[in-house]
Amino acid sequence: MRRRTLLIGAASLPALVNESGPASAQDAFPSRPIQMIVPFPPGGVADISARPVAHVMGKLLKQSVVVQNKPGAGGSVGAALAARAAPDGYTILMALSSISVLPVADRLQGRPAAYELDQFAPIALITADPTVLVVSADGPYKTLKDFVEAAKAKPDKINYGSSGVYGTLHVAMEIFAAAADIKLFHIPYQGGGPAVAALLGGQIDALASGPSAAIGQIKGGKMRALAVWGDKRLASLPDVPSMKELGYDATFYIWSGLFAPAATPAPVMTALRDAAKRTVEDPEFKEAMAKVETPIAYLDAPAFAAFVAADAKRLATAVERIGKVPEK
Amino acid sequence: MDALHHLLAGFAAALSVKYLLFALVGCVLGTLIGVLPGLGPAAGTAILIPLTFSLDATGAIIMLSAIYYGAMYGGTITSVLINVPGEAASVVTCIDGHQMARQGRAGSALGIAAIGSFVGGTLATVALVVVAMPLASLALKFGPAEFFALMVAGLCLVVGLAGNNMMAALLMTVIGLLLALVGVDPVRGAPRFTFGVEELYDGIGFIPVVMGLFGVAELLLAAEKRQIHMVEAELKSWMPTAAECKQSVGAIGRGTVVGFVLGLIPGVGAIVPTFMAYVLEKRVSKTPERFGKGAIEGVASAETANNAYANAAMVPLLALGIPSSPTIAVLMGAFIINGITPGPFLFQEQPALVWTVIASFFVGNVLLLILNLPLVGLWAKLLKIPFSYMCAGVLIFCVIGAYGLKQSLFDVWVMLGFGILGYLLRKLDFPIAPAILALILGPMMEKSLRTTLEISGGSFAIFLDRPVALTLLAVPVIVVGFLLFKPRSLAPLRESDVE
Repeated sequence: MRRRTLLIGAASLPALVNESGPASAQDAFPSRPIQMIVPFPPGGVADISARPVAHVMGKLLKQSVVVQNKPGAGGSVGAALAARAAPDGYTILMALSSISVLPVADRLQGRPAAYELDQFAPIALITADPTVLVVSADGPYKTLKDFVEAAKAKPDKINYGSSGVYGTLHVAMEIFAAAADIKLFHIPYQGGGPAVAALLGGQIDALASGPSAAIGQIKGGKMRALAVWGDKRLASLPDVPSMKELGYDATFYIWSGLFAPAATPAPVMTALRDAAKRTVEDPEFKEAMAKVETPIAYLDAPAFAAFVAADAKRLATAVERIGKVPEK
Repeated sequence: MDALHHLLAGFAAALSVKYLLFALVGCVLGTLIGVLPGLGPAAGTAILIPLTFSLDATGAIIMLSAIYYGAMYGGTITSVLINVPGEAASVVTCIDGHQMARQGRAGSALGIAAIGSFVGGTLATVALVVVAMPLASLALKFGPAEFFALMVAGLCLVVGLAGNNMMAALLMTVIGLLLALVGVDPVRGAPRFTFGVEELYDGIGFIPVVMGLFGVAELLLAAEKRQIHMVEAELKSWMPTAAECKQSVGAIGRGTVVGFVLGLIPGVGAIVPTFMAYVLEKRVSKTPERFGKGAIEGVASAETANNAYANAAMVPLLALGIPSSPTIAVLMGAFIINGITPGPFLFQEQPALVWTVIASFFVGNVLLLILNLPLVGLWAKLLKIPFSYMCAGVLIFCVIGAYGLKQSLFDVWVMLGFGILGYLLRKLDFPIAPAILALILGPMMEKSLRTTLEISGGSFAIFLDRPVALTLLAVPVIVVGFLLFKPRSLAPLRESDVE
């Protein structure tokens, strides 16, 4: 008998995670754990935002919200998985600005898009920050001027890492390179986290990073911040100039926001939007985001949808300027 | 001596009844997660986060760390008893662990795993305290080129050790690598070998494959023989004998070093250290032919490396703020939500909390040992259940595990399909482990190779410029070449078999 109890006991744990079958009408959403897909490896902006959101949202909904890292192809692998997931609210996506770029880039490369933006319904914008240009603290570049001069002297020799081909950090850096009229050598990683590790390990020379992924390293003296993409300085890095004030017309915001598959039913969407709203208002969440020095930039679904549409338009132009990236 | 002072204060805190209780609950739950196939440490830890909502910061982190360590140990139990690894890091333990169980030595296998885990985990924590900062920075120099070379070296060594079956092992490795290509291209995002089947976009999951090739195949073989019990031999002892412990001392020492060093490198994952330690152990053994037939050193080395890895993987997180695996990222999330920002400032800003957590790593390792040793006998007794019941139970367990991973019936068919394939391969005497290792390492190898080639602009000459990568690539090539063309001088090696 002991064995049977054991097996049944063992069986109930995955069941707890994965009770299948459609929830009956009287079941309040959510009746089982929600999985939040982060289309990047740990350590980047999406992951750093996702963990506190998942934690606090789980507390408010009284159900675990489980972060799943599904990296690949600049975020397109995980986003496509979320787009194809059952539209029942139990799979949501923590995406970055690149969500609108990747389908455009796919068409530019002459292949069918892995997903389309209209396969998603926006839930809420969580953070929006200008990216920051960082180099190794031991490196030769002390100012943005040094960096640009060096790049002009030897085009294509300074290499920079990114979150993937046409990923957020790639597009940000290319916007700056176009504004400064320089050529840099691009090395795509699987996400912002591995790119930060690569800069620390001396594998790459520079990186456009989301502030939350780099701020600890900047303050810890491992990385030097040269400038921020944005109209004004970052509150967390008051000594770092903006590209605008240095005379470069380069603006880029890395934002993170929650999406659900487009066909998710309205009552479930309402529940998710409400949960997101209560999450960003939660003191525990505010404190966690303050720890990673990331200001919360909450927008509810309608405003967020308009924001995404406007951003998509702007980024599409930037991507077309990058053009086709040759396969190596 | 400030650090020592903080560490002692940390022990005082971690040893309070309250925190001991949290660590104990965490160890038990973690072990359960590890036992369940399909529910790995990352998902398991994430699901259990709500349990820590009502706890204070220290308590929450102690409990989550205990869950993590517990999960790393729990996978061993099913590996040994029924040849089904509970999580990736226990794959290697199946090779000798289950053979030991079949010889009636399940108690010894589980006992040495608990002891090895304890020693590996504790020594790695000591090393963490002493050398965290400098080593963490050094490990980052290990770039994609070195990473790729390390993987190639690992696979070559596995093939090279396959003895008479070397061609078969090579074939199985290539099959594993081919299976690893199925799914969406990790760099460009193009679907490969998916044939429009939606479930294949995410690749062939190794958990269903492993459960099929090891677990289901094992059941089919046993059913064919009309066995009465899962394990035919009498249960000999519940504890490793003195002789067995003596045999394992070297393996535990080497396993600790391998696990710790590889744990420092972000992205390596838990499985590489386990099979590297296993391969190393077989290389240095005077009787390598015993490996794959129930060598206790095989179990000891893999399990020690596993837990040394788990503790060392904390180093990049605590010292640099870099989460090196999804499980560690779960812990990092818990750190941040509890007001701790891992990174260069952590040790200066919040010494009391960090040292309490480090002290709790020690405590967690002790608790795991205390918890597991008395249970070893109970687990081993499960094997005496008549096979007809046991077989059905294991099969249900596997089906739930495969299904539970992604609520996908497709994965259940994958498992059953690979179960039949595994049965045929075992009948034909093909080694299975190389295919599984290649399937798990394939995606990592591909990513690191392609990043390397992005750095070099497509030229393979980059490997010639990087001494560490070149050495790692050269050694196994020479070893395999030597084994191929000088068979007689190495006769004893060639009799052995990885599987």
